[in-house]
Amino acid sequence: MENSTNLRPVADIDLSQFATAPNTQRPVLISPDQVELDDAEVMASVGVHVKGEDRSGTYILRDFHPLYAQARTDGLELLPIADALKEYDWLRERYYWRAVPADLDRYTAQCASAPEPQGYFIRVRKGTKVPFPVQACLYIARSDIAQTVHNVVILEEDAELHLITGCATRTDVSSAAHLGVSEHYVGRSASLTSSMVHSWGPEVEVRPRSGTIVEAGGTFVSNYVSLRPARSIQSNPRTWLNGENASAKYLTIILGSQGSTIDTGGDVYLNGENSSAELAHRAVCTGGRIYQRGLLVGNAPGCRAHVDCAGMILDAGEDGFIEAVPGLRSLHPEARMSHEASIGKIAPEQVAYLQSRGMEEREAVSLIIRGFLDADIEGLSPELDARIAEIAELAGHGER
Amino acid sequence: MTNILEIKDLCVEVEGQEILHDLDLVIADGEVHALLGPNGSGKTTLMMAIVGYPEYETTKGRILFNGDDIIELDITERARLGIGVSQQRPPTIAGVKLQQVLDYAVANAPQRAQEIDELVSTFQMEPFLERDINAGLSGGEIKRSELFQLLATRPRFVMMDEPDSGVDLEAMNVIGEMTNELLARNHAIRPTERRAGLIITHTGHILDYVHADRAHVMLDGYIGCSGNPRIILDQIRKYGYQECVRCELRRHRR
Repeated sequence: MENSTNLRPVADIDLSQFATAPNTQRPVLISPDQVELDDAEVMASVGVHVKGEDRSGTYILRDFHPLYAQARTDGLELLPIADALKEYDWLRERYYWRAVPADLDRYTAQCASAPEPQGYFIRVRKGTKVPFPVQACLYIARSDIAQTVHNVVILEEDAELHLITGCATRTDVSSAAHLGVSEHYVGRSASLTSSMVHSWGPEVEVRPRSGTIVEAGGTFVSNYVSLRPARSIQSNPRTWLNGENASAKYLTIILGSQGSTIDTGGDVYLNGENSSAELAHRAVCTGGRIYQRGLLVGNAPGCRAHVDCAGMILDAGEDGFIEAVPGLRSLHPEARMSHEASIGKIAPEQVAYLQSRGMEEREAVSLIIRGFLDADIEGLSPELDARIAEIAELAGHGER
Repeated sequence: MTNILEIKDLCVEVEGQEILHDLDLVIADGEVHALLGPNGSGKTTLMMAIVGYPEYETTKGRILFNGDDIIELDITERARLGIGVSQQRPPTIAGVKLQQVLDYAVANAPQRAQEIDELVSTFQMEPFLERDINAGLSGGEIKRSELFQLLATRPRFVMMDEPDSGVDLEAMNVIGEMTNELLARNHAIRPTERRAGLIITHTGHILDYVHADRAHVMLDGYIGCSGNPRIILDQIRKYGYQECVRCELRRHRR
């Protein structure tokens, strides 16, 4: 590979090669029992369990149509976004395309031009603490389509929600595009945890676009896990901490593999007094290109921000790498901001140490990777553990 | 009594340089031996070679564990035969908790779950369980963490590298107790019920707490002399390791 500092990270997608949403009547929602078993297994691998046990609500989108949308708890609304737009005029006026502009780029424009928007609308009423996670699956079952999604999540004052969004392609789908807009509104003292798990076919192109606005005392936690990377993923979620003591925490976990390019960032604008933001990137490279970015913008007295990029290269393959670009911009003398970055290999003495306690080499590697990712994400540990075990198995045997 | 460890003509290289030269050592089952010697004499190299660290390459000789040659076995296989080690400077592992290592031990020996719980309480290990392994621990705390991991698996043969270095007096008492528990020295009257061990010590302080059956002095990659631990230690404390070197030179001249 040539040593170039001008690598174009992610190429634009030629959207003309993909089929877009048809202008037809969408099917009636079905019951989760009718989801085919193969599909249900893929959904489970990204944390979405169609039977909905230990979940307070479920939304499933397959290709261009919602299969299922149901909230199971008082104070929680979960609707297909098209239905919500018909029901609530204020949604379009105050929220729809307000945290992500429709003209941000060609992908948001593509979403805006869909004949009928697809995606979920979630509203948690004032003071409602949703007891179990709400799960949403954005699923692609047909090759060569461009799925466009637009989600809006609104948490009113003092509300709490953990949202798990699983995005995946059926195992026989290799080529497709996923363009997803997500807008999150976190009200005063509300708390939103958004855990997103991606598991894509090898030729899939993915462009999520998300924006989050957090009011005073609100908390936004974003966990993003890419288990099986697409050909390319490029995203740069933006968050505005507009209220006093608002906070945001991003954890991005990328398990890269040969042939993929993953470029994830995260811009956080700290506009509220004493607001705080923490960005943590963790990447394990078994080939492919991984960019870890992040820009924290301090613009208020007493705001605190830290960005931390850490990469572990198990096998760079032919042209794989990890590039860490943690960024800070301070506009206020009383903003406290810091960053750190490190990239290295798995330490042999750590593996040997755990082996001396009786562990197999692959068990030791798995435990060390798990520790490196430090990913204790509620409701997702089994899926993450299973994938880490696979990677550790490969790493332990020196194969890809 | 059978021998738990039998080392014959062992040569070990590290990064191409021979550190151990034709070393012989025999430890009978149930016995605890002390390995004394000046810094740089090869004590840790011997221990790491027995554990099976790949960078300590055996170029000649045999290591028999319970009668079987273990030279071809990897670290895991040796650990599973019952070779346990407490390192002097173990690595820290970010994100991996002591509790996870204990969970692994319990998963492999569920019948010991309650005993391990009791040991946690006896040795007041609760504050360490959710901390990253060896991260930010003092010298004494590292020793306790190391010994506790061994207590959780109760290996047949225990090696300890300088359990008494960098440890204050109070911590030394706890480390002495843990070592005696580990070697079953307090409650097993019959030697066959005791665990065998090899304790590396530069200063000999640990021998004020733990009875050793025999001591060896290592000089420049081989065992210079062996004998009664008390007598050898008294000599070293009086005259230092220089006297061992002189004694060895005199012996060679004869």
